[in-house]
Amino acid sequence: MRAFDYARPGAVDAAIATHAKADSAYLAGGTTLLDLTKIDIMQPEQVVDINGLGLDRIERLEDGRVRVGALVTNTALARHELIETHYPVLSQALLSGASTQLRNKATTGGNVMQRVRCPYFRDGASPCNKREPGSGCSAIGGVNRETFAVLGTSEQCIAAHPSDMCVAMAAIGATVSVHGPKGTREIDFGAFHLLPGSTPEREHALEPDELITHVTLNAPERDARSGYLKLRDRASYQFALASCAAHLTLKGGVIRSPRIALGGVATKPWRALEAERILEGKTPSKALFEQAAKAAFKTATAYEHNAFKIPLGQHAIIAELGELTGLATTQEAS
Amino acid sequence: MSETLNTQKPRIDGALKLSGGADYTADINLDGQLYGYPVGSAIASGELEGLELEEALGMPGVVDIFHHDNFDSTLKHSPNSFAEKNTVSEPRLPFEDTTIHYHGQYIALVVADTFEHARAAAQNVKGKYRANDQVTSQLDELDADNVAGLPGVLQEGDGQSRGEADAAYENAEVTLDHHYSIATETHAAMELHASTATWSGDHLTVYESTQGVVFQRHALSHVFSMPPEQINVISHFIGSGFGGKLFMWPHAIMTAVASRRLKRPVKTVVPRQSVFTSAGSRPRSMQRVRLGARADGTLTSIRHDGSNETAFVGMHNDTVISATPSMYACENVAVTNRVGEVNHGMPCPMRAPGEAPGLFALETAMDELAWQLEMDPVELRKKNFAERDPASDLPWSSNHLIECWDNAAKRFGWENRTAEIGAMREGDEIIGYGMASQSWEAMRLQCSARVTFLADGRLQVSCGTQDIGTGTYTIVAQTASELSGVPIEDIDVRLGDSSLPSGPLSGGSFATATVLPAVKAALDAATQALIDKVTQDGQAFSDVDSESIELNDRALTYGDRSIPVTTLLEELGIGQVTAEASAEPGDEKNDYSFRSFGAVFVEVRWDPGISRLKVERIVSTIDIGRAINPMTARNQVEGGLVMGLGMALFEQTEYDKSGYLYNANLADYIVPVHADIPPIDVELLDYPDYHLNAFGARGVGEIGLTGIAAAISNAVYHATGKRIRDLPISIERLLMAN
Amino acid sequence: MTEYFDPKTQGGATSKSRRNFLKTVGASGVAAASTPLWAQTTQARAAETPEGDPVKASAPAPGMSRIQLNVNGVERTVDVAPQMVLLDVLRNELGLTGTKKGCDQGQCGACTVLVNGQAINSCLSLAISHQSDEITTIEGLERDGELHPVQQAFWEHDAFQCGYCTSGQIMSAVAVLNDDRIGQSDAAVREAMSGNICRCGAYKNILAAVQDARKTMKGGV
Repeated sequence: MRAFDYARPGAVDAAIATHAKADSAYLAGGTTLLDLTKIDIMQPEQVVDINGLGLDRIERLEDGRVRVGALVTNTALARHELIETHYPVLSQALLSGASTQLRNKATTGGNVMQRVRCPYFRDGASPCNKREPGSGCSAIGGVNRETFAVLGTSEQCIAAHPSDMCVAMAAIGATVSVHGPKGTREIDFGAFHLLPGSTPEREHALEPDELITHVTLNAPERDARSGYLKLRDRASYQFALASCAAHLTLKGGVIRSPRIALGGVATKPWRALEAERILEGKTPSKALFEQAAKAAFKTATAYEHNAFKIPLGQHAIIAELGELTGLATTQEAS
Repeated sequence: MSETLNTQKPRIDGALKLSGGADYTADINLDGQLYGYPVGSAIASGELEGLELEEALGMPGVVDIFHHDNFDSTLKHSPNSFAEKNTVSEPRLPFEDTTIHYHGQYIALVVADTFEHARAAAQNVKGKYRANDQVTSQLDELDADNVAGLPGVLQEGDGQSRGEADAAYENAEVTLDHHYSIATETHAAMELHASTATWSGDHLTVYESTQGVVFQRHALSHVFSMPPEQINVISHFIGSGFGGKLFMWPHAIMTAVASRRLKRPVKTVVPRQSVFTSAGSRPRSMQRVRLGARADGTLTSIRHDGSNETAFVGMHNDTVISATPSMYACENVAVTNRVGEVNHGMPCPMRAPGEAPGLFALETAMDELAWQLEMDPVELRKKNFAERDPASDLPWSSNHLIECWDNAAKRFGWENRTAEIGAMREGDEIIGYGMASQSWEAMRLQCSARVTFLADGRLQVSCGTQDIGTGTYTIVAQTASELSGVPIEDIDVRLGDSSLPSGPLSGGSFATATVLPAVKAALDAATQALIDKVTQDGQAFSDVDSESIELNDRALTYGDRSIPVTTLLEELGIGQVTAEASAEPGDEKNDYSFRSFGAVFVEVRWDPGISRLKVERIVSTIDIGRAINPMTARNQVEGGLVMGLGMALFEQTEYDKSGYLYNANLADYIVPVHADIPPIDVELLDYPDYHLNAFGARGVGEIGLTGIAAAISNAVYHATGKRIRDLPISIERLLMAN
Repeated sequence: MTEYFDPKTQGGATSKSRRNFLKTVGASGVAAASTPLWAQTTQARAAETPEGDPVKASAPAPGMSRIQLNVNGVERTVDVAPQMVLLDVLRNELGLTGTKKGCDQGQCGACTVLVNGQAINSCLSLAISHQSDEITTIEGLERDGELHPVQQAFWEHDAFQCGYCTSGQIMSAVAVLNDDRIGQSDAAVREAMSGNICRCGAYKNILAAVQDARKTMKGGV
């Protein structure tokens, strides 16, 4: 951990201006930033503490959407009445993530910006295209189990996106509001996170000095059902091996507007669009869910230690859809 | 005995531990102290060609950087002898040569004025390496049949083989031949290893998180060519060790050298990653078990061939076959263990070494045999119960294994088991029942202690052993209180200091059986010293035959005469009476075999729809002789069961093909968390084993971790029909197995 | 009735001498501890926590900032570099070594403290960012020389072995018991406490202690 300067501006514009003065990092909850600066993976010259910006509100907009301040903690978001009522998938996803202590610190904006958990990325020494473009990927020929993807991978990087919250947001649909030196703009949630492709060092759509101020969730749909199922080795305090966020409505016995997102198995919060197409307008059945689950992993690439994530991810989809449509009997959501 | 012994006593150090007042090594800050931070090798095999130090040396607060080229060349190796109490974990001295033997091997120690400065500079020290492509893993070849023809060191099982195991196997009516493996595990004690060294003239004081202050003192005395009396090792509280802190690691030597060179105290708290790479593990082991039996279940042959990895920097035999010859009545038994070198950090004993991995293989094989024979697994074990130790042909000092099986089975509800695979269900979940036997050898070693009667009525007891969380402070106080009548709150127990009378390692479940007899001997000696004074002319008992005087309830008594010790000290005009004494085992090992036994039963739930396996409940009955403090003893067993749950389902220290330790942290090395813990029901039988010592205690630290992994694996088979012979029983193994 | 720590109303209460509770704890049914001399030394050091540090004469060293931290109800003045995390400042600068470092990466929970009543990992938090917060560590739980009910319950249930994760376990337990959003079932407590790893495996007794303390604290907070 290098020495850095510290600033705590009181307004968004000031924060952006301060950030632009040096090689900087925004500090929200710190659970990613301080972790990575401690192990010398991030080396900011300046840390801009944004906790004084007042971005900690959750509010319902006139159009029905719910706007979440970037500094709303994971705990506050998960426990908020609007979220518990209208977006159970998000509440469940948040509460399945990390630990009580980390959720109390981690923020909405910070979680969007969460970085991969690949040990080769984090060790500061192994070849890693994300950390040192062009140096190679140690994970492809190394150990690639828990925190590695089977969807959206490239020959440059196979690290999975670690967030649970983002998977739920991908299923709900959201926009990310950012402020930057050139003003403000909105980024569709699905376009925010980038696939590694040939540039794994580029992880998101933010321009230099831009700051996430809010994430705005699509307006809740009437009669929508949603839920999150996270599968992992131990029962808590572990990143997903595979997870499924599902959001749908049942009208006249058929599935409408299904939105399925996957976690733990992909290099970004992963919309299973093919699965959604298969489900749309169909009557729920085990066979249908299996067909959708199979389609969701049609493009998957298994690596030496994570092939099991393909059937496991399919299990997550089938079980969560069963839960939401009432096909399952005792399936617990978690 | 007694009001105080075999009684549930809250720990005497409880208030300190619960309020943040207990001083663990890293909590001790000395005036003028500097901070050390180690740098580990980025590669696992090769040569260190040089270090980039310039940038780090110029960083704020950096005082010096120690490495191969500037380290102390006068250091000597410790002889590494258990008998001489100078065993070390890693025999190689720090920075001894420039060969890289494992990922994380220390290549430098940065010393700076603050922790932050030391860490920042350490992150800027980069090694220049010539990597060796050849990373050795001889053990991968051990699946072949001919054990003797394979690489690695063949270590016969202490001459424990008997009969003609191979011939009996060939002639057996029913046979079984399977391979088992256990992943490398890491102790992962919550307290990071830490060492603070300070020199005063030619005297070295080391604050260390260690399970053996005496061993470390003796090891340091060889390394630094000093009389042991000039070295003191202090470890008042230890954030546990599980074997990982039994013997000294290189960081302690690095720190002491730095302190001597810089003439200031130096504190090194080993970062978590380095604890994983460079401070021990239970090595990966591979085992082959062959069983032969008659159709009625009588075992006719047991052949158990084990192997474990060790490091190039030292030999560690994990003795996975150690319990096998004693477990069951069988005339023909052959055991071997082999050791092969790999480019990994040095392994060392980890809680229940040998028995935990060995009984996973043997007790899983017994379950498989029961299925082959269509016998109840409990009945198969009972059929082969050993009335005396078949390995030594000595009678057991005390063995209540049959009661353990029956007691645990009853409390578990084993009779409700439907034998058929997958037949027990609840909702989406398939229920599996499994059981296994548990065992750990009981040992007792030599030990000294000191007891002092103080004028204010307190009794001080001191011994150079440690309390690593097992409750040693408390049981020493209970024992001294019981024997002297001094209330437990007036017993002052001093442990964790090598200047105290020499005490045992806190490991191997032998501390209780070893220390308490020494406490008694020292109390007797101190009492005698007091009697010698008060029977002098003019003193209170001058008219009395000294051999008839007894210590009772804080007083010396003779017939109706009873005078409190405090009164006697006051009359004598002295502040204390003290004595040191030793106790050691006699020749009882020639007459009896000492082993603790237990039985563990497990229910698992398997939800195939989501590939989720969970342990639903654990029931265990343990025979450890007498528990001095059933509260802390039961806690030990429960903790062992929890660690066994981790061993069975999660734990795996993963190295990639280059020898890189992939998951050197507590997020990627999966240990059980609170949400994984099912209801645990432990019953301790109470059959004092007076052949081992006057207190009847055999010790309790390890046994909980034995058998549990097999019981879980056996329950998984009952639920799923999948026989997982490789630990951990991970999701992918369950998904991919047939 | 003794007023126990409540994150919603905490603040202003001063940590009393830590020696007192050792003398009085016997009254609650647990045998009073015999405190060895070396331990008393440690305690005395902790007990001498000043009621606010003396004004420092010299300016902070280059690169350091002088900040105020409210720890256990006491305003502390300390010079920190921006990158210093709360855990290291508590332990190395303020002498509050009851909060432990187990991983330094938010992966174990040994460093758990309360900030404005919420449990956080102090290893992943900059000290300099906590200048307007109320920080409570394990040293700040007892009141009037008595252990907090959670500490007491941990003692009576033997909810620890080595004691190293214990400070963090207790701080989490206090937060859990004061958080009405967290269910009271065993399963809810287990999940909420899963950010505190106990490698000794004393979970069974920890759960029993938390649930028992819940009864003691009922109406007491």
